[in-house]
Amino acid sequence: MQNENKISKISRRQLIKTAAASVVIMGSPAFIRNLHADDPIKIGVLSPVTGAWTVYGKAHSRGFELAVEEINAAGGVLGRPIEMVLADYQTDRRLVVEQANRLLRQERVDLLAGTFSSADRNAAGPIVKAADKLLLYPTWYEGQIEEYYPGVCNENIFMFGPEPTQQVWPFMEYMCNKFGKKFFMIGSDYAWPQVTNMFTKEKLKELGGETVGEVYIPFNTPQYESVLRQIRQAKPDIIFHSLTGSDTVNFRKQLVAAGMKNDFTLWTVDDEEVVTSGLGHEVSSGTYVSFDYFMTIKHQNNKDFLDRYQKRYGSDALMNTVGVGMYNAAHMGAMAIEKAGKVDTSSIREALKGIKFDKAPQGTVEMRALDHQAVLPSYLMRVREGWSSVNDMFEQVQTVARAVPQDARCNLPL
Amino acid sequence: MELAASVLLDTTLITLTLALAAFGLAIIYGLIGVINMGHGAMLTLGAYFTWAGLQLEIPFVLSVILSGFIVGFIGLLFEHWIIKRFYNSPYETLLLTWAFFLVTTELIKIVFGSDFRTVVNPYPGSIDLGFYKIPTYRTLICVFTAFVILSTGFVFFRTSTGIKIRAMIQNREMASLLGLNISLTYKIIFGFGCFMAGLAGGLVAPMLSVSPYMGDMYLVRSFFVVIVGGIGQILSGTIIGSFVIGGLETIVALFSDQVIAQVAVFFFAIVILRIRPQGIFSEK
Repeated sequence: MQNENKISKISRRQLIKTAAASVVIMGSPAFIRNLHADDPIKIGVLSPVTGAWTVYGKAHSRGFELAVEEINAAGGVLGRPIEMVLADYQTDRRLVVEQANRLLRQERVDLLAGTFSSADRNAAGPIVKAADKLLLYPTWYEGQIEEYYPGVCNENIFMFGPEPTQQVWPFMEYMCNKFGKKFFMIGSDYAWPQVTNMFTKEKLKELGGETVGEVYIPFNTPQYESVLRQIRQAKPDIIFHSLTGSDTVNFRKQLVAAGMKNDFTLWTVDDEEVVTSGLGHEVSSGTYVSFDYFMTIKHQNNKDFLDRYQKRYGSDALMNTVGVGMYNAAHMGAMAIEKAGKVDTSSIREALKGIKFDKAPQGTVEMRALDHQAVLPSYLMRVREGWSSVNDMFEQVQTVARAVPQDARCNLPL
Repeated sequence: MELAASVLLDTTLITLTLALAAFGLAIIYGLIGVINMGHGAMLTLGAYFTWAGLQLEIPFVLSVILSGFIVGFIGLLFEHWIIKRFYNSPYETLLLTWAFFLVTTELIKIVFGSDFRTVVNPYPGSIDLGFYKIPTYRTLICVFTAFVILSTGFVFFRTSTGIKIRAMIQNREMASLLGLNISLTYKIIFGFGCFMAGLAGGLVAPMLSVSPYMGDMYLVRSFFVVIVGGIGQILSGTIIGSFVIGGLETIVALFSDQVIAQVAVFFFAIVILRIRPQGIFSEK
């Protein structure tokens, strides 16, 4: 009898506890939000910190981190600090999905930034669409075509890196006039090189040029004899190069070893500071490279930016277009939140459209409202003979202060 | 005619380079039956040690040789402490060597970082044959590979050590009963296989990007080489296997493109294994 009594007592107590707890839980979201207005705004950053693309991952996550620190030092956004939640997806597409979901569901971030390659971004596309959160994408990429929706042409994705009509088109005429109109295209076997080449061929045709060869190489190919043979036979004026990662280095070293370096002009749209460092000056000198940003561009913004960056991460820390893309994404995202006055997705989306950032390291960057594509400067550089570090690696050949891209081939406006 | 000659040259270069990369694996797998999944990591280690040697201003050739010995020594320690207890259980050695690969790759990242490193080509330039230019350094590597394989063949078939090793492969218990020191021989073979992997890693470094994952590129190809060529056929098997996996790729790529060539070659390898599961050269 006594036992029974005890049990019922406990049950009653538990009932009360449970009831009280549920009241708190049910009432909490709005309640907590009102009480803690200065809770941080959380931004999830998807970065390839480890794995095959670690070399890019460092500049990638640091660019964003530096911007967040600057924003917080200046008092945050809407009086709230920004908290960056870094997720390492280990250069693995499946982990992009896993980590994006974790950031959204578990960490409850307000928006996402990052992913590195187009394949990574395409993996994250459906997730940000379904969760209705924004993704700020920093990398140079292949441009938007409706066919690749929801990786591109997605109203929830904003592009802070250049696409081919900004990175390649502005310099085609110069390159064709100087070296000739026969292009040989070599790229890694995935979306970015293929679509980039498609755009390049379009412009080439317009200029009366000709594609004398087009090959795509599977990832991690150690031998390039057959490709080198094709190049020799095709006799191009320009080798248009979009291999990525270690394949770049493997191919280029063997091109040089085969004694073919001086016979052709090589134009790469992939080798920023990190990869060119890996190539060494014997292999890389004389190569043409085009991007929206280089560590060596002469711009007051860049000088100030690099001072801050190297003070924070050491004087030998490398920066590149992707790191700067992340830096701009953080600042422009913060500006948009400030402008919107709230942090819900549709307000930030509307505020980001047309936002202009004139402190960007490469000059002025503007987010085009129509297709969420950044309007950026664009630079064509030539790798110097006998360079010794990133500080004297590139010499500026051509500059476009404002490279306006073609309209995205999506159902516009996004 | 000139095309045929140049294709032949390219094919030879690829075949011998691949044979060099696969040789360490072929020795360990063929002679003592351990599937060394750590082979890729050993190639990578060899490349990094060579790079480090050059940073210390040790001449290239010496750096490569030192790398071989260091990797060989690491292999010996690995054998002595772990592998020798598992010679009778192939699956365990598979897992253990895989673990070696994982741990080593992470250690490389911690010690050397994950940036690309460059080993400058010590013999740049190319040999001009009139109708075709072949890279000097590649040619030297191929000559060296031919030399290594031939001298291994000499040791194997023309010396008393070779007789002992062959006796041991044929019948381990009997060889042991007749007074051969099996565990020491295994140790030496394992160490030599690792030495070759380190050496190969150092030698291919000037042609590739030195990164923590560079060995992976050769790991899969090396396995196919060994399996297609025939397990235990460390000389002819390695060469023919390398030709099927590497050389054919060049020839097929001549008529189609690189992607199709790689797929076709691996498809061909699978067909061979379906018809001759023991490999092209094995007699069983």
